[in-house]
Amino acid sequence: MNPNPRKILIASGNSLFGKGLMGLIAQRWKKDPPEIRLSRQMAETLEMMESWQPDLVIVDYDDTTIDRGEFLRSFVSGDQPMQVMLVSLQASGAVVVYDRRTLTPAQAEDWLSVPWVSPEEPDVSKEQRSSTMRHFVIAGILIVLVATIVYLLLNTIGILPAPASVEAGPIDQLFTAHFLAIAVLFALITVLMVYSMIVFRQRKGDNTPGRNIKGSTRLEIFWTLIPLVVVLYFSYLGSATLDRTNAQAPDALEVDVLGGQWYWSFTYPDWDITTNELWLPVDRPVLFRLRSADVIHSFWVPEWRVKQDLLPGENFVRELRVTPTEEGQFQLLCAEMCGVRHAYMVSPVYVVSQDEFNTWVNEQTQAIDLDPAARGQKWAQDAGCFSCHSIDGSDSIGPTWLGLYDSERELVSGETVEVDDDYLFTAIVDPDVHVAEGFRPGVMPQDYETRLTEEQIEDIIEFIESLE
Amino acid sequence: MKTGILSIGLVRGLLFQAAGFLAGVAVVTVIRLAFGMGFSAEPAIVLGAFFSAIGFMIGVGAFSGWFANALGKPAIPPEEVEEPSGFKRYLGVSYDHKVIGVQYGMLTIAALFLGGSFALIFRSELVAPGMQLIGLQQFNTLIGLHGMVAIVGMLLGGAALGNFLVPLLIGAKDMAFPRLNAFAFWLAVPAVVLVLSSMAAGGFDTGWTAYPPLSIFANMGMQLFFAGVVVFGWSSVLGALNIVATVLRMRAPGMSLFRMPIFVWGSLATSIIAMTATQLIGLSFQLVMFERLFGMGFFNPANGGNPILFQHLFWFYSHPAVYIFVLPGFAVISELLPVFARKPLFGYRWVAMSSLGIALVGFLVWAHHMFTSGMEEYLRVPFMYTTLLVAVPTGVKFFSWTGTLWEGKIRFTVPMLFVLGAMNVFLLGGLTGPILGTIPTDLHLHDSYFVVGHFHNTMFGGFVFPFIAAVHYWFPKITGRKMSDLLGRITFFILLPSFWIQTLGQMQVGLLGMRRRVADYDTLPEFQTTHIFITVAGFLVGLAFVIFMYNVIRSAMKGEVAVGNVWESRSPEWELLPNPAPKHNYPQPLVVTGDPYDYSLTDTEYVELVPVAGATD
Repeated sequence: MNPNPRKILIASGNSLFGKGLMGLIAQRWKKDPPEIRLSRQMAETLEMMESWQPDLVIVDYDDTTIDRGEFLRSFVSGDQPMQVMLVSLQASGAVVVYDRRTLTPAQAEDWLSVPWVSPEEPDVSKEQRSSTMRHFVIAGILIVLVATIVYLLLNTIGILPAPASVEAGPIDQLFTAHFLAIAVLFALITVLMVYSMIVFRQRKGDNTPGRNIKGSTRLEIFWTLIPLVVVLYFSYLGSATLDRTNAQAPDALEVDVLGGQWYWSFTYPDWDITTNELWLPVDRPVLFRLRSADVIHSFWVPEWRVKQDLLPGENFVRELRVTPTEEGQFQLLCAEMCGVRHAYMVSPVYVVSQDEFNTWVNEQTQAIDLDPAARGQKWAQDAGCFSCHSIDGSDSIGPTWLGLYDSERELVSGETVEVDDDYLFTAIVDPDVHVAEGFRPGVMPQDYETRLTEEQIEDIIEFIESLE
Repeated sequence: MKTGILSIGLVRGLLFQAAGFLAGVAVVTVIRLAFGMGFSAEPAIVLGAFFSAIGFMIGVGAFSGWFANALGKPAIPPEEVEEPSGFKRYLGVSYDHKVIGVQYGMLTIAALFLGGSFALIFRSELVAPGMQLIGLQQFNTLIGLHGMVAIVGMLLGGAALGNFLVPLLIGAKDMAFPRLNAFAFWLAVPAVVLVLSSMAAGGFDTGWTAYPPLSIFANMGMQLFFAGVVVFGWSSVLGALNIVATVLRMRAPGMSLFRMPIFVWGSLATSIIAMTATQLIGLSFQLVMFERLFGMGFFNPANGGNPILFQHLFWFYSHPAVYIFVLPGFAVISELLPVFARKPLFGYRWVAMSSLGIALVGFLVWAHHMFTSGMEEYLRVPFMYTTLLVAVPTGVKFFSWTGTLWEGKIRFTVPMLFVLGAMNVFLLGGLTGPILGTIPTDLHLHDSYFVVGHFHNTMFGGFVFPFIAAVHYWFPKITGRKMSDLLGRITFFILLPSFWIQTLGQMQVGLLGMRRRVADYDTLPEFQTTHIFITVAGFLVGLAFVIFMYNVIRSAMKGEVAVGNVWESRSPEWELLPNPAPKHNYPQPLVVTGDPYDYSLTDTEYVELVPVAGATD
């Protein structure tokens, strides 16, 4: 740019624009002020460019009465050195300078196209800045308020069942951390949204557009990086918490859990006890070995927080560690969709004192001395037979056992058989060989031969025989 | 001109589908009898299912162009095919992308209505503990069908928006491959019929996820469900391919990628996922199908299979699938917000890139559905990290939307109400995501009702609300009429609060220990009050949807005539086209001269029609 212009022409329909600039120029060149002329109209401007030959023309970029095309033609047609300075007040005082002799077609194109507005520094007058500030302050206060209320609410209304295991401790801490994040983000977005909906709604009769903000790279980077740090932190918290819930205790009580359609069966290898109710001493770490007899099930006691699927197959035994801390009765739920009677795959869980637990163990180990039919009832109970076979005369998934013994049965194959010891033994260990009319093959598990001893099966048959 | 009921493509298609089914059954039976084996229902039904889909396509006429080619006859170019006028053109093969978009849309609404109705049946059962209305098998079948039919509905909805809008928004006359476009749509129809027909074959008790070994032992309905989903998968892949090709090749001059309307970005990201991931769900279902038919031991450990393998294959698609519904919904939000905030979209490039970011990260998170599955222990933590990363691009979108509203001049039109409702509902879904993403908290929440509440929020906020907004917004481009404003507002003000109650109720019982997919909760009767709330709210959601459907039908017939740029949008279909949009869209090519969302610069334009040659000289 010519550092010392002598003749300056200011073209603007806005008289304040010219006067303001004149003042600025007078300050800048106090000793040797250049000659300045003002032009308020397009025709006058062109005429003066021709006759007066200024070496700098300052054009108001925001003045819509100036025909840029015509101005440009007139500007490039002369051969005297001349510069044009485009000044926009609306775009925060953006300035562009062009030289008549070096003007490129691209520059001309720029000149003719839309006004250049800096996305980085949107035009903010003092008044607007203070109103923006006010909006942010009010919204900020509301955000803090709403976040606090939501956080307190989430922590006080008891949205989790009372914890009853060591593992529930760190997990509930993580829940609380999440509740904080949820409360803050909920408040942040909701308040900003609702505030905008109320304050920035279009009033009747107002047809002006919203403020021209196309974005802010700085803000976008900010709200990419902050959430990134937060989620990384939460992932870290998650893995640290997981470590704590997986802590291995050497003296854990071992329980083998078998899930099947639709029963739970628990074996305590220490005492060779198998039951369908889970009894545990309080405050002693337990190691569950989980296995399924058929499809996928899932082990969940909500008060203990932890959950683990049971998979079928020898190679898919999974482990779960829990230390119950509260005595009482709980429910073990199957949490993985496992077929028709999934909803009813529930077993009671009793967490008792060590003394009570010992008593229970003694009862269980002595239970074997009873008569065969009573033993059979217990084996059938433990093996989950009653989830499909009733003893009250009503057929459900499988035939009822009441009055089954010695009766005549029609089979799917069409033959009729008499129900005796041999028939029942086959029906238990190889259920699909004979399927009674009205029932489906493939429903009953095929693995009772491995799960029950021959004596146990005989006891069960004895029990069925007793149900007249 | 043919008349009579057989001139309707859909009717012919369904008749041919029945015939195809019988043909498939006959082929299997004849072969088995020839080898001295008796009749067996399952292989007969499976082959019948695939034959029925092919039969439908022949009957509806989706093959006619290709048949003509194969016979050496000239096929009429798609743009010259004469099509019936009036409503009838929606009932047969059309190569016009707008007709196909509307066809997709009608099927979407039908599927959502059906899927929702299934939910209301089993929701009624859950009003009280114990079983009152339906049996256990019916209940389990209904939850599976509710899930899959609603998912199919949403996939169709994404396709509806993409097909109708993408060519209009990028200034193209049609899609890149009009014939393939029609083919992809019509394939979806027999697929839906197959999925629904599973009810007639004994249903299935697995839920929509169909995990083996359970799905190996389930009733025959399982096979029809699998066949339907596999066929639908083809439809999805082909439709997505077409959109990718259209976006990449057919944009108006001057429309660089970063000057595309933001919806097109969403559609592109969605289509990339659908095109590359859908194969995996098709594969996983097909493998179970074969395991059942031929005893191939893929997944059942009793036959040497691995049940967790299925879950990896299944979720590799089914997690990104969530983004297939949600990204078009997000794109509608981003597209409509500037129009009704009268302000540029905040951070256009960031919003566009966040769609691709979500699509990319979405591929790396599938195993978070398996934190309790018993997969290898060392896999859990890395998947927790990737899962939470999804929050970052999603956050960018959310903050940018909020930035768009800030200091705008917000107009509360019906589409805008649904857009704001979508943001609100999705916020709830988004905020309840990370708590499921960190493993220890997920150990409690996995497979609980909390998950049910969470994803219904993401689905409604990410798809249903934006879809309803889009239907209200672009309705004049389809019919030339406006949708009723009053009915729209009634729909919104019933839908939003009842949906909140429904999902908050679901989350509450889930946190307290209610499992998902249970027909009965007799062991936890204290949940009954909440369940009554959830069910009543569910029925209100259904009522809102019925009002919406009534509004669509009524307004199509006698709504107020819409003239010109109804919403004062800068988008080409509003700036340059009459209502309804004419066949082949723009009379002359258009050229992009500005940015799509400069609503604050009233003297600029986004697009202009190129003047007809000769007029300028």
